[in-house]
Amino acid sequence: MATLDILIFPDDNLRTVAKAVKTVDEGVRSLVDDMFETMYDAPGVGLAATQVNVHQRVVVIDVSENKDQPLTLINPEIISLEGEAQGEEGCLSIPGIYENVKRAEKIKFSALDRDGNPYEMDAEGLLSVCVQHEVDHLDGKMFVDYLSALKRRRIKKKMLKHEKPDRQR
Amino acid sequence: MADNSTNPRLTAVRILTSVVADGKSLGDLLRAAQESLDTRNAALLQELTYGVARWSYRLEALLQPLQKKPLRNKDTDIKILLWMALYEILYMRTPDYAAVDSYTGLTLKLRKRWAKGFLNATLREFLRQRDTLVEQVDNNAVTRHSLPQWLYKFVVTDWPQQAESVFIAQNERGPLVLRVNSLQSTRDNYQRLLEKQTLLSRPAQLGNTSLILESNERVTALPGFAEGLFSVQDSAAQLAALLLDPQPGEHVLDACAAPGGKTGHLLELQPGITLTAVDNEPSRLARVEENLARLKLTAECKCADGTDVTQWWDNKPFDAILLDAPCSALGVLRRHPDIRLLRRESDIKALAKQQLALLRALWSTLKPGGRLIYVTCSVLKQENEQSIEKFLTVTEDAKERVIDAEWGQACQHGRQILPGQYDSDGFYYAILVKNQA
Repeated sequence: MATLDILIFPDDNLRTVAKAVKTVDEGVRSLVDDMFETMYDAPGVGLAATQVNVHQRVVVIDVSENKDQPLTLINPEIISLEGEAQGEEGCLSIPGIYENVKRAEKIKFSALDRDGNPYEMDAEGLLSVCVQHEVDHLDGKMFVDYLSALKRRRIKKKMLKHEKPDRQR
Repeated sequence: MADNSTNPRLTAVRILTSVVADGKSLGDLLRAAQESLDTRNAALLQELTYGVARWSYRLEALLQPLQKKPLRNKDTDIKILLWMALYEILYMRTPDYAAVDSYTGLTLKLRKRWAKGFLNATLREFLRQRDTLVEQVDNNAVTRHSLPQWLYKFVVTDWPQQAESVFIAQNERGPLVLRVNSLQSTRDNYQRLLEKQTLLSRPAQLGNTSLILESNERVTALPGFAEGLFSVQDSAAQLAALLLDPQPGEHVLDACAAPGGKTGHLLELQPGITLTAVDNEPSRLARVEENLARLKLTAECKCADGTDVTQWWDNKPFDAILLDAPCSALGVLRRHPDIRLLRRESDIKALAKQQLALLRALWSTLKPGGRLIYVTCSVLKQENEQSIEKFLTVTEDAKERVIDAEWGQACQHGRQILPGQYDSDGFYYAILVKNQA
C-alpha cells in the first residue's frame, strides 16, 4: 500500500468526469486500498479517485469515530434524495477551508463493494453529506461550486498563495 | 471530505506532526486551526502545541531510555502523542491516569490500534521511573534546556558566559509588548486607557513608546486596536526605526518588511518620509498593507525579491534603508518555540549567504552619504557581525558607524541584545554608511 498525492484546488484535473469501472479486479482493489491509506493519513472521512488523479468512479469513506468502519463505493449512484440540511464541509483538495453547504438530508444510494458485489444503503447525517460530496467529485464538481463567486475567488487565491513554502521569521 | 472534528488534543497531534514531519510553521497552522474552535479549546490547543514544541527535546530525552527501538518516521504522530502525554503530566498537572487514558484513546482516532498497548506500556514505565529519568535528563544542559545539540553548541561557542541565561530566557513565555502609536497617543495616555479597563502595564526598558502588559490579553480586544492606537512589537524590535531616525522628506526603504511592524514605526516617527516597503511573499506583504491601513499610514508596497533590484527599484536612490534580514530567528525562540524543530544546522550558512547577497544588492540603491540599518533577530555571530565583516571587506564605499547606546553589548561590528536582557527578545543591530563620492 502507498499513500497517493491529493490534487489541490484549483487543479484542472479535479474537473474531469470519471468513467465507470468495468470490472472490479486486482487493480481496482489496490487503488481502493491506497485510497483508504491516503484518506486516513490526510486525515479525512472520504476520498474520491478523482482527487488522486485517477478518473474512475471509485470512492472510499469512513465517518466512524474510531476509524474502523471503511466503506467502499464503486460506481455509486444516488437513487433518491430527501429533505434539506446545511452544515460545514471541508475538502482534502481544499485544505483549511470550511464553508456551509446545503445538501439533501437523507439519501439512498447503490454501489459495488470492494469485491464487486452490489449493495444499496440509506444514509443520513455525516455519511449522507459525505457520499454526496464524493459523488460530486466523480462528476468534476466541488463544494466550492455551491458558494458565491466572490467566496470561490477568495478561496482560489488563498490556495494559490499556499503553494509557496512558508518562511519563518 | 476533510475531517473537521474538534478534539483539541487530536488537532494538536496533527499540527505538531505537520511541524515535525513537514517543516511547517506552528504559528500559521495554529491560527488556521483556532478559527474553528471555541475559546476554551483554542486556548488548550495553544498551550499544548506551544508547550510541547518548547519542551520537545527534553520530552524526547525523557522517553529515549524507555524505547528499545526508535519509532519509524511514519509514526511521528505516535512519538508526538508520547510528548504530549508527558507534557500534560509534567507541566500541566493533568492527573497521571487521565493523561494515560486520553492519549492511549487517541491512538484509535489516528487509526493506529497497535500503538495503544505501546503507549500505555511506555507511559506507565515512565511514571515508575519518573524521578530517575528527570534527574538524568536535567543533569545534561542540552536536554535540560530542550535544545538540539548543534544549536546549543553554536550559542555556547558565541556566548560562553551568557549562554546559560540566554537558554533560560528562551524557554520562558514572552510577555505581550505594545508600541503605542505616537501619532495618535502617548505611552502615558495609553497606559491610563488600559488602566481604565483594569489592565496593568509598565514601560519597557527599550524603546520610548513601549509597554509591557502584565497579563496575556487578546490583542484585538485591547482598547483602540481597530483605530490603530498601538501595534504589537517586542521592545528590542522597537529600536530599529529609532536607529534609522527618519528625517522629514527622506526617501526610505524597508526591505524584507513583512509583517510590517517596523514599517509602521518608521512612519509613526516621521510621517513626512516617502517609504517603500518590499517583501518577496505576497501573503506576508498583504499583512504589511493590513497593518498600515489599521494605523492609517501609507507606504508603497512592492512584492519582489530584494536581491534583484531591477524587479522593483525605480532608480531613485534611498536616503536610508532598513534591512531586517532573513535569519535563523534564534533570538525569538521564546515566541516561536517550534524554531528548534524547524531549523537545521545547515540553514545558518545558507542564511548568512542570503544576508550578504541582500546587503550587496541593496547597497546599490543607497545614496552616497546614506545609511543602512542591518537588523536580525538572531544571536549567532555568523549571521550578525560576521555578515557585516564580510560585507565591509568586499565593499569599498562602506564603513560602519558605531552605535552609541546604553543597551546591549558592543560586538566586533554592531550591537547585540541577548534574549531576556531587558525582558526582550534577542536582536542584533549594525549601522553602515555609504561614503560620499
